[in-house]
Amino acid sequence: MIKIIKNLYNYRELIAALVWKNIVIRYKQSYLGILWAVLKPIMLMLIFTLVRSFVGIDTGNIPYPILTFAALLPWVFFQESASEGVSSVTSNAPLIKKIYFPREVFPITAMVTKIVELAISFGILGGMMVYYKMMPTIYGLWVPVVIFYTMMVALGISFFGAAINVYYRDMSQALPVVLSLLMYGSPVMYPLSLVHQKLIVEQAAGHWSNDLYTLYTLNPLAGIIDSFQRVMLKGLAPDFEALYPGVVLTLVILPLSYVFFKRAENWFADVI
Amino acid sequence: MPIIEVNHVTKEYQLGHITSLKENVVNSYRRMTGKPLHKREEFKALDDVSFSIEQGEVVGIIGHNGAGKSTLLKHLANISKPTKGNVIVRGSVAPLIEVGAGVNPELTGRENIYLNGAILGIPKKIIQQKLDEIIEFSELEQFIDTPVKRYSSGMTVKLGFSIATSLDADILIVDEVLAVGDLAFQRKCFDRMEDMIKRQGKTVLLVSHNIRQIQRLCNRVILLDHGRINMEGEPQVVCDSFYEQSDRKIRANIDHTKTHTIASGEVELVELYFLDHAKRKVDSLSYNENCSIHFKINVLEELEGVTFGFGFHTTDFLYLTTHNSEEQLNINRLPAGDHEIVCKVNRLPLLPGIYLVRFGITSGKAAAGVFYGESLAHFQVIGDIPITVRDGFFALEANWMQLGV
Repeated sequence: MIKIIKNLYNYRELIAALVWKNIVIRYKQSYLGILWAVLKPIMLMLIFTLVRSFVGIDTGNIPYPILTFAALLPWVFFQESASEGVSSVTSNAPLIKKIYFPREVFPITAMVTKIVELAISFGILGGMMVYYKMMPTIYGLWVPVVIFYTMMVALGISFFGAAINVYYRDMSQALPVVLSLLMYGSPVMYPLSLVHQKLIVEQAAGHWSNDLYTLYTLNPLAGIIDSFQRVMLKGLAPDFEALYPGVVLTLVILPLSYVFFKRAENWFADVI
Repeated sequence: MPIIEVNHVTKEYQLGHITSLKENVVNSYRRMTGKPLHKREEFKALDDVSFSIEQGEVVGIIGHNGAGKSTLLKHLANISKPTKGNVIVRGSVAPLIEVGAGVNPELTGRENIYLNGAILGIPKKIIQQKLDEIIEFSELEQFIDTPVKRYSSGMTVKLGFSIATSLDADILIVDEVLAVGDLAFQRKCFDRMEDMIKRQGKTVLLVSHNIRQIQRLCNRVILLDHGRINMEGEPQVVCDSFYEQSDRKIRANIDHTKTHTIASGEVELVELYFLDHAKRKVDSLSYNENCSIHFKINVLEELEGVTFGFGFHTTDFLYLTTHNSEEQLNINRLPAGDHEIVCKVNRLPLLPGIYLVRFGITSGKAAAGVFYGESLAHFQVIGDIPITVRDGFFALEANWMQLGV
């Protein structure tokens, strides 16, 4: 574990240079530049707000637009990190074939690149909080922890997916489909409190209800989004009951995924 | 302790397309139930290759296309892993395998210097120190802030080479990079390589099809053939052997296709042979001995005003010398039928090696070519050469003296 981190530390300049390259290239020759990065969460927020105006989703005392934007912020970060991470190895085929450095640099670079876009989204969220006159609380200090957790979840998918994608490009095709389905299985459009209300309070699924709730929160994004909304907007500590199933799953998957990636790495240059 | 050790390295590739998911599933089922697997044909790119390289050695790797040269370099640069055997490298490696691998077309030259520096593992501080030197070497001062996509291909390679050679590594792995840019830039690259080798004492592995370059730069050469080490040792000996092999291959092709001569149909070359000083028909001639070259031709249509010419060239078509019959042999009319033309060579000045003969006939006032062929015959020059002449193709007759003594 320490060896992995030390190794990454040695390659920090390379990661920094590759991140910088990704950002420069993506927005070169474009007039709006990096603003395009935040278009996606804003558009989704507007659409959800429109849908909500005739579906009716109870959000308590928090305005729906800011609640859903606060959900989209970690969600989009996760989704983009994972899908960029999965194709990061194959899209750098020329480098893989010519120069050696630890290949995990690619998925990590893809993720770090997204942090820059995340930072811009944070700026917008801040602006919205000012508009709705919401004050950040001391619980805001949880934000880095939540983001770090999101990064680990994204990496868990990236490592495994990137290695598979070298052999079967189906992976990079399938992942966006799976992820957009997962969005509806995550509390993005609706708050987690609604799910909690239905399953735990009303026991809507009979004696299956508690198990179903655990299954739902096994999706790490459920805990992440809920925690993010709580610490940013509600001034509450994260709800550990909603977090732990996802955390346990991530702790199991991430090391497996990393080991899988490192073992597959030896043949990348031959197969890619 | 050797800086590079290659122990019984074998690399197998499976031929054909990557196995489908279905085949994989079927195979894992068969593996579990102990049934024989569906196997694809395998290809050994490297077959039990072993050698070691000491610090400061300059080793050339030569071989035909597909002999496994680049595969070997990839293993040394840690890009591929061997199927069997192992590779031990004790030191940092600068892989100049196809320079400009990391050059991104969207970025400017200057941005690419930083990016490629990072990719090659050069710390940012060092890049900043060397920035001016790199830009100057690349001769791209004027274009350094222009995106590389607007560069010519030569400019891109110049940039790549300049960055790669600024890296301060113990081992340099070079794959065909000296064949870049215009002649002047090639010269510069060559000088830089020589500087790294001779003055900085770096260990260098060089792959090139330019055998003369290899012969000049290296102190040991490995000849690969179909993934195996065919020969290893003195550059001169190994390179000559490689020339001989290539030559055989070239001649096999010539025999096969017979397209190497241009003839108008008025003349045919029937036979070409060499006689040594004792008038014996031979395949190898002695250095500094008299000999003669005989051309037997069959004239189909009468020719007027005929001139013959022949020349020696190397297997890589470096024309060494020519001689023609003008002023020595006046043939106004050459009737149809068989003729034999002889050219006597006094004290053959060619140094030992393999050489080939080209031959041409012109006719008429305008000296129109009626026959021309290259690589028509090959011969080996043998013999002892004086210690005063070592390199090159010709013995130069010269004398040394010190004035004022």
